[in-house]
Amino acid sequence: MLAGAAVIAVATGAGSTIGAPQAQALTLRQRRLRRATVQPRDWRTLLLRRAAWGPSPSALADVASKGSIAGWIDWQLNPAAVSDAEGAQVDALYPEMAWSITQARAGIQEFSWDLMVMTAQYQVARAAWSRRQLYEVMVDFWHNHLHVAVPSDGLWDNSHDYDRMVIRKHALGKFSDMLSASAKHPSMLYYLNNASSTKYAPNENYGRELLELHTVGVDGGYTEEMMFDAARLMTGWTVNGDTGLAIYKTNIHWTGPINILGWSNANSSTDGRPAVESLLLYLARHPKTAERIATRLVQRFVSDAPSPALVARLATTYLANDTDIRPVIRQLFLSREFAASYERKVKRPMEDVISTIRILGHTPKATGTLDERRKGVRALYWQMQDLRQAPLDWPQPNGYPDTAIAWQSADGALGRWNNHQSLAAGWWPNSSIINVPTPQSLLPAVLPTTAGALVDALSRRLFNGLLRADHRAGVLTFMGKSASSTLSANDQWLKWRLAELVALLLDSPAHTLR
Amino acid sequence: MTTACPDCLDAESMRAQRGLSRRGFLGGLAAAGAVGAAAPLISTQMAFAADPNYAGDTVVVISFRGGFDGLSAIVPAGDPSYAASRPSIRIPTNRLLSYDGMFGLHPAMAPLQSYWEAGTFGAVHAVGQPDPTRSHFEAMEEMERAAPGSSLRTGWLDRALGLRGTGSVFQAAQLGWSLPSSAFNGPAPELALGRVDDFTLWAADDNDPVKAEANVARWAAALSTLMNGAPTTMAAPTASALGAITTTMSMKRTGYTPSGGAVYDTESDLAMSLRDIARLIKQNVGLQVAAIDYGDWDMHQNLGGVDSGWMFDKLTEVSAAFDAFAKDLGPKFADVTLVTMSEFGRRIDENGSGGVDHGHGNAMLVMGGGVNGGTVRGNWPGLAENNRDDGGDLRGDNDYRVVLAEILRKRCGQGSLSTVFPGLPSGDLGLVKTRPTS
Repeated sequence: MLAGAAVIAVATGAGSTIGAPQAQALTLRQRRLRRATVQPRDWRTLLLRRAAWGPSPSALADVASKGSIAGWIDWQLNPAAVSDAEGAQVDALYPEMAWSITQARAGIQEFSWDLMVMTAQYQVARAAWSRRQLYEVMVDFWHNHLHVAVPSDGLWDNSHDYDRMVIRKHALGKFSDMLSASAKHPSMLYYLNNASSTKYAPNENYGRELLELHTVGVDGGYTEEMMFDAARLMTGWTVNGDTGLAIYKTNIHWTGPINILGWSNANSSTDGRPAVESLLLYLARHPKTAERIATRLVQRFVSDAPSPALVARLATTYLANDTDIRPVIRQLFLSREFAASYERKVKRPMEDVISTIRILGHTPKATGTLDERRKGVRALYWQMQDLRQAPLDWPQPNGYPDTAIAWQSADGALGRWNNHQSLAAGWWPNSSIINVPTPQSLLPAVLPTTAGALVDALSRRLFNGLLRADHRAGVLTFMGKSASSTLSANDQWLKWRLAELVALLLDSPAHTLR
Repeated sequence: MTTACPDCLDAESMRAQRGLSRRGFLGGLAAAGAVGAAAPLISTQMAFAADPNYAGDTVVVISFRGGFDGLSAIVPAGDPSYAASRPSIRIPTNRLLSYDGMFGLHPAMAPLQSYWEAGTFGAVHAVGQPDPTRSHFEAMEEMERAAPGSSLRTGWLDRALGLRGTGSVFQAAQLGWSLPSSAFNGPAPELALGRVDDFTLWAADDNDPVKAEANVARWAAALSTLMNGAPTTMAAPTASALGAITTTMSMKRTGYTPSGGAVYDTESDLAMSLRDIARLIKQNVGLQVAAIDYGDWDMHQNLGGVDSGWMFDKLTEVSAAFDAFAKDLGPKFADVTLVTMSEFGRRIDENGSGGVDHGHGNAMLVMGGGVNGGTVRGNWPGLAENNRDDGGDLRGDNDYRVVLAEILRKRCGQGSLSTVFPGLPSGDLGLVKTRPTS
């Protein structure tokens, strides 16, 4: 009741045409149309807000050149075919990401946090600038599905390797391959304690999350005994503390029969590795796993309340293609549910920050030492940290929540407004550490001559459309102008206050919804 | 207009411990803003009188996320099965504080011993949920929904607030650097505040408070208009933020000095969140419920020992923070009830990694001027093999909702508890005194 009152007060106080009583009189379709913050609706923008980290001008040009959702998705689904000088520039900025674990142990001080934080910052840079956008979005999706919190204990020398050899290697491949790689990677072995699990006292942490989070889900039908069995079977896989590499120790492997959700194995050998592979494959191919992954994909890319029909179709495709994720993604973005989902998701902080700089046009410094050139990315990472969503940093093993209600918070809203102001004005990161476009670079070559034309020109540049009328009027009131107020070329709103205007526009739902 | 953060580069190097220096960036801003600290208070903007319709305690709910091992904090050393169950992580009886023959406090809780002895700090043990699960996430959601067997989607704090009618924008607040608790899910607005001193609209800030206020008003009008037609998940937090911001910006300008010799650890999110709560309570902004998330209790390995380790460090931080909070509140301590909860306890037997796996029954800590403390309340099922739940867990004989309901009933004057906790079992643990009507 209180929130309703607050929202209505906000709406009516501003002279809205959409009060609650009227809204009730409208049909669902009418309400959807009224709710659209930008007109006309633009499918390219929708696509790039979901299947990419936001619509930069160059990404919009890519979509336009492909001509359709299918054309762009098919092109992006084969990332090797997407020429990516920008991504290569990011990789050159972080050569450590190509290190093996052994190289990492020789390359940095023991237990230093440097490589872990760098791994997280690398995600920011790739997401912001790589042209392989669908791939980067899926990398983030899988990082949150097979989540290993970075930084964490035990990960100082291996988190970059988990990113490369588990997530990035299989992000557009088969889930069964990714699951198998994750189970035996030092990052996961440490993070969920399988590294210290033995036949004498199996540690349940990995066995439980394997079933609950990574595969069939909490309602997957397994019993506590099955969860114990998963933990028992996994004993033997651990980490060699001297090399930092995963190893298998037959002398700590629990032997005895294992039964999990219809899969069974005598597990009589002290080498349980073949049985582990068999179980992981079985779980990856389980219908409940298909449903769980499909649900998470739909929640990520379509709606906070996934359509059961779409989930069922995607799960079927997943199983029919032996856990290959590519046909599933293609089907999702070509679905009618996706097409009808315009502005149905709210950006989370990481999506907000990255889409903002993609739209504004920040780019990494091309000169200076590596450390100097990384400073801009580092600043962006800390901005996300302040907004509570630095990449990979969610402390629990279930990955960042992906619904708007989980992120709904007053200081989250305030933090975004502050961040938009800071980025638009180049306060931070500033031009000493990142290439910051001037606010004037967002204006058309022929400067608008009225306040209304200025708001419209910025709306087209930032949102690919025009703001709905009441929002536009609110922005003009903020400027102390009417739509027809003339602007000279030296008007403050075209000069020193332009960043303030851009920031306000970025605070609108036209930017915050995705 | 403040130009923000000329050099925020060192935030990373400050991050010696996970989560500690994440405020580095804004910390730099706070220092820059301190120039204006001597500016006069704008008293009209501070006039958030406490809600005349509410004359209860401020309840502080602290979520020990990750599965708090209550057996390590409120130690049942007198139970015959205790020592054998925990060979490497047990606390020797002679090291326990206020040991009563069955229970004693972990030695890291020394700062709280005087409250225990004075009766303003107590505990309920063997607390559980009606439908236990060993999934962190399901257990947390169910605990915060607090409506087992129903299809309600709101949280218990939201339902409690909904019954109280409109309060100030500060009626319910989440402090600290985590996402708001799902106990707030539902229509009643809550204010996620992070830190009071960071709750500033940079674009509107100005060392001249009159100008700052005018700027805030202009931004607030525009931002409100932009929420027309926006989903509630955007509009509600916007309304909360805009409703609070003038007050917080003024509080920041005024600055804050804790009372009673209280020392808050500036590196502890828990301590600094409690500091803000004390500050808001003393400011009389109408704070009824405050929530803090304090996680990192999932001690599957290396729980540690009597004098050091993971548990020792956590309890040390908790105890120092609670002690500072109580000292700082001074006479207001009489109007505050603090309660901790956690999604589940840990297994009775330690595992092979020097830790404890997910279990069930747990301890809740309760502190405040109205608490009947100094003892462990609730039915104690014991640790004996044949009394264990699900093979190895402490039984959850005492429903956590009964604990919360008693606090709401006696300290907050809350009726209609069946709305807050559908299917609430009857029970009264005598944990708190009935608040005198003023």
